[in-house]
Amino acid sequence: MATRALLAVVTASPPRMIQIKASTFSSSLKFQRHITTIARSFSSDTNPSVLQPPDVSRLAETARISLTPSEIEECGAKIRQVIDWFGQLQQVDVSSVEPAIRAEMEGGNLREDAPETFENRESIRASIPSFDEVYLKVPKVLNKE
Amino acid sequence: MLSTLQPPRSLTLLPFRRFHGSKTIASLASSSPTLDASFVSPPQSQILTTRRSLLSGETTASEIAKSYLSRIRLTEPQLKCFLHVSENVLKEAQEIDQRISRGEEVGPLAGVVIGVKDNICTEGMPSTAASRILEHYRPPFDATAVKKIKEMGGIVVGKTNMDEFGMGSTTEASAFQVTANPWDLTRVPGGSSGGSAAAVAARQCMVSLGSDTGGSVRQPASFCGVVGLKPTYGRVSRFGLMAYASSLDVIGCFGSTVADAGVLLHAVSGYDRFDSTSSKQDVPEFDTQFLSMDSFESKPLKGVRVGLIRETLEEGVDSGVRSATQEAASHLEALGCVVTEVSLPSFSLGLPAYYVIASSESSSNLSRYDGVRYGNQVMADELNKLYECSRGQGFGGEVKMRILMGTYALSAGYYDAYYKRAQQVRTLIRKDFKAALDHNDILISPAAPSAAYKIGEKKDDPLAMYAGDIMTVNVNLAGLPAIVLPCGLVEGGPSGLPVGLQMIGAAFDEEKLLKVGHIFEQTLKGSGFVPPTLPNVA
Repeated sequence: MATRALLAVVTASPPRMIQIKASTFSSSLKFQRHITTIARSFSSDTNPSVLQPPDVSRLAETARISLTPSEIEECGAKIRQVIDWFGQLQQVDVSSVEPAIRAEMEGGNLREDAPETFENRESIRASIPSFDEVYLKVPKVLNKE
Repeated sequence: MLSTLQPPRSLTLLPFRRFHGSKTIASLASSSPTLDASFVSPPQSQILTTRRSLLSGETTASEIAKSYLSRIRLTEPQLKCFLHVSENVLKEAQEIDQRISRGEEVGPLAGVVIGVKDNICTEGMPSTAASRILEHYRPPFDATAVKKIKEMGGIVVGKTNMDEFGMGSTTEASAFQVTANPWDLTRVPGGSSGGSAAAVAARQCMVSLGSDTGGSVRQPASFCGVVGLKPTYGRVSRFGLMAYASSLDVIGCFGSTVADAGVLLHAVSGYDRFDSTSSKQDVPEFDTQFLSMDSFESKPLKGVRVGLIRETLEEGVDSGVRSATQEAASHLEALGCVVTEVSLPSFSLGLPAYYVIASSESSSNLSRYDGVRYGNQVMADELNKLYECSRGQGFGGEVKMRILMGTYALSAGYYDAYYKRAQQVRTLIRKDFKAALDHNDILISPAAPSAAYKIGEKKDDPLAMYAGDIMTVNVNLAGLPAIVLPCGLVEGGPSGLPVGLQMIGAAFDEEKLLKVGHIFEQTLKGSGFVPPTLPNVA
């Protein structure tokens, strides 16, 4: 499928500033480059051996989501595929690059640590599934080893 | 100087001439033998038209509201854009009419019929994020963006369909219904704000709010032939927007014209003490700059430097999309822009980096949906089981998958290899954009590698669906503003499928995007972008 070509990490080329031309881009060299990078990106040796493949049952337990056995299988296959694809990021040279938490922020947008009363308590109460005046009811907690 | 490329089939681009006053439209029509027979005047802002006709007494808010409600009734069975239609529309319209008749001031959005994506909290109206886990949930407060709309007299007509929690590109991941594209009912409207985009395209509402984390406003705008505006991160308060990825999410605007999207954005922008990531930057008056075409000079965008992103026109992009984009570039040149090609070397890294970051942040953000304080609860005899069953049964497949991927990427020992690395790649992407925008006023690219595809086509292939986001995710990673406006049609559907041009600006430079977008739209000749499949569309 043509769109698969978009998933491959294309090797970087130096920036060029050129005028727009009427001719379309040359196809054959680009096509070959894409096929090679697609093959490379989906091969298992892009995954460093130190990272274990995802154990879907364990992840589901950590995330507190119950999955049926068929879901584990189906979900598992898709997750493994996507995480393999994430492996491309390992190819990038990020030595001495600072991680960007988010867009440049001004910082200092902190408010006073003073409680305010929320007016619409009734509406909050109405949304609580199990309520026993003043308490939200939940079942007991079993301590697991 | 016009490029020598062939124009796409259904648009006629005319050489730009100097306009003088109101006789320009007539004289242009009579002097040019190549003029398309279905020539229409440039699209008018619905918000500004509504305001004029309400204040002049030409019509009433109640009449307007009634006509939109009846269009919704007529078209919803086929389109399914709305998860909920408000019961208070006529009452709110009547209140506006009463105030006008008493000579009282009404806000700039008085009588404007607005759709709101269902992951944005609206007090007293269900807000479900299209998820079973929040089925029937009614928030106790309005999102700040909704509060501002209401304060200005806007009428929220209903909550629009979306992919569950914003995770998807088609609305097929909604727990409740799939929205159809008004241009071809067998195709997707895009996502995740598919309902909001389709509702505007189908004229079920004038404008709508959506959210954009990786392209969820811009891609459906392209697929549905409407304007989609993604502001700079921090421009609009996220208070009341159900969080998907906190470092990427923004609330965005849809309209049938650039002016409408701009006026709506202005209405919802500004610092909010309830959102510590909202910016204190001034909000310029970008709602008043939409001049009529009569006042344009012959080269109204003279000297504007436009960078066409080379990596967005390579293999994997449909040829129809490529030529529509190149045509749009020629149109910009004709308006006086200097268009050059730019390269963003880290471009293709954006997609995996985005999905690592978004999955990771979503796994944290969605942990609040545990069935205890709100939402659907599945009772169990033990607390962890209550969490597991409520979430297991409440979340859809795509949501579960992304939470698990995020859990993996953030696990001890994996954080450096995935999340931290993705954030480092994010720095590279940001640097590339900054370098390109130092030499250009705006950057342009397609909004998506193809036009709308068929419902069901990519549903079971996650990577194929993710690939469609390639044009949009980098902009979210860099936190920049971008606008998508329809620029052409490609083959498909009963009368062609729309394709959008994406324009990307520097941080907080929405003003420039709106100016360029407005002039581009007003001077683009053709038969307009109104889907032909629906009855009674004005």
